[in-house]
Amino acid sequence: MKTVRFKATINNRPVDLLIAPNRRLLDVLREDLGLTGTKEGCGEGECGACTVLLDGRPVNSCLVLAPEASGRQITTIEGLAADGRLHPIQEAFLEAGAVQCGFCTPGMILAAKALLDENPRPDGQAIKTAISGNLCRCTGYVKIVAAIRLAAAKLAGEEGAR
Amino acid sequence: MSLEIREKQLPGVKFPDEESPGREDPERESSRSGVDEDSGFCAIGKSFPRVDGAAKVTGRAQFAADLRLPGMLFARVLRSRVPHAVLHSLETAEALAVPGVVAVCTAADIPGQNSVGIIVKDEPVLVGIGERIRRVGDPLALAVGESEEALDTALPKIKVDYEPLPAVFSALEAMADYAPKVHGDSNIQSVTRIIRGDADSALAAARIVISRRYTTQMVEHAYLETEAGVAAIENGLLTIRVSTQNPHYDRREVARVMGIGQHRVRIVQVATGGGFGGKLDISVQCLLALAAWKTGRPVKMVYPREESVIASPKRHPFIMDYTSAADGEGRLLAVKVRIVGDTGAYASYGPATLKRAAVHATGPYEVPNVFIEAFCVYTNNPTAGAMRGFGVPQVAFAHESQMDLLAQALGLDPFEIRLRNCFKTGSVTATGQRLWAGVGIAETIRRAREKARELGMLER
Repeated sequence: MKTVRFKATINNRPVDLLIAPNRRLLDVLREDLGLTGTKEGCGEGECGACTVLLDGRPVNSCLVLAPEASGRQITTIEGLAADGRLHPIQEAFLEAGAVQCGFCTPGMILAAKALLDENPRPDGQAIKTAISGNLCRCTGYVKIVAAIRLAAAKLAGEEGAR
Repeated sequence: MSLEIREKQLPGVKFPDEESPGREDPERESSRSGVDEDSGFCAIGKSFPRVDGAAKVTGRAQFAADLRLPGMLFARVLRSRVPHAVLHSLETAEALAVPGVVAVCTAADIPGQNSVGIIVKDEPVLVGIGERIRRVGDPLALAVGESEEALDTALPKIKVDYEPLPAVFSALEAMADYAPKVHGDSNIQSVTRIIRGDADSALAAARIVISRRYTTQMVEHAYLETEAGVAAIENGLLTIRVSTQNPHYDRREVARVMGIGQHRVRIVQVATGGGFGGKLDISVQCLLALAAWKTGRPVKMVYPREESVIASPKRHPFIMDYTSAADGEGRLLAVKVRIVGDTGAYASYGPATLKRAAVHATGPYEVPNVFIEAFCVYTNNPTAGAMRGFGVPQVAFAHESQMDLLAQALGLDPFEIRLRNCFKTGSVTATGQRLWAGVGIAETIRRAREKARELGMLER
């Protein structure tokens, strides 16, 4: 099969690859780049475990053909912690007990980041809508919603939110 | 398999500590933990971050599908599309000729015992020639190759010749003499009976008797991570890194199936993306062992979601016939229950699930006269196994519905009828267990009622 050039910025680093044109973004991330923090739960855009940010917007990377993402900015879970320090959303997920098996966690955190970048003070409904494309089978969502509230407070530098 | 539990009548015999039912001994209480609360080693009442939390929020946690070993192959299994048949032949030559395919294994390649099962070894790793297919999704052949794409091309080229058999999809029909048999000469895998007092006489004398049938459905666990693992022979040890809830069992089964000692099998539970009981059974473990053994190379196997749904065990669907009797004050006099659980093609945790359902069938209530029968029944449906609650959520739906119907018939408040019947310290359960401590149901009901009032969920 002929190959196409895949040039993108992933987690603020330039990436330049030759890939088969029928590859999914998910597979290029996991197999070619070793970014296995992005998970495959269903492969058909139902569960959201493969969520990454494409130019800041959350997408299911199992439904994105890799060539479509060429020339764009991609953020995966590996790109969140800077200088060895957890991002406030990651801290909030840990502190609120929103992490159990951890399989939905990367996608959930990125969906939360997309929300908070656009709406720093979301209400409960906005949080639920933002993660409506991300399934979790362990937590029952209550602590995930609490974690995103806590993350909003942390990002706003509120007292007591640590 | 049959179990009968009859309460032993011990008139005049005092249970130890009957005078102090809570067994409250202040000295013993303080010395129990043996940890000084200020020492920094006491975890009770404090929140701690998960030990694997940081790895999970950063994407560093390695789940089975994230593992990659040098020279690693992939494996996929061909599954039956018919629910009941005799397997006559498998032609694998054409599949083996697909570029990138390294091996195609059948039951004949299994060096040890071709059977697994936590309670009953009734499930084949791969269905053998001349053996029976018992459900849609039974594994027939295992293809191993350089890429999953090669395997997707190869699997449809395996020619399967089978003779269909009549199948049974209803647990009630499966109990009849004329039903097609899934294993042996009866589809009734196990029966659990719990008998206390004389339920029939108590029913005849009761003020109110309510009889209803309750049915519950099959449920898929749908853990976000599908079944996955990587097998490799490392320093002479067959090492399998796998998404599992049951590594010790996995090791025993892999050793049996491979015909080697357990000391030559190492199971590593890697980060496991949800289980809820569904990863207590064997999934990829034995297939991976066979593939790595046959090829001498590391092998990875990840179920696609569709395969996970087809192949994994489910929550048992139940058919429950309840008859509950009470006096004029709403006090339970007798409960009779017949539970039929559909365990599908293989027993898995079925006998234990039905036993637990029987033990919990009267709920958290004192019932002096009890007759419970729970049947675990084979059908050609998907296998049912362990799932959160192990048969108890199904019976809870039924016994609580019965309590509501009794309350309604007697004009009683639904909280009140539960408070009149629920366990207290010193209560004896249907199985004859005396509850000495930690009986919080009455307090829970009272507080739930207060909370419901507070939230405006009750009229009064």
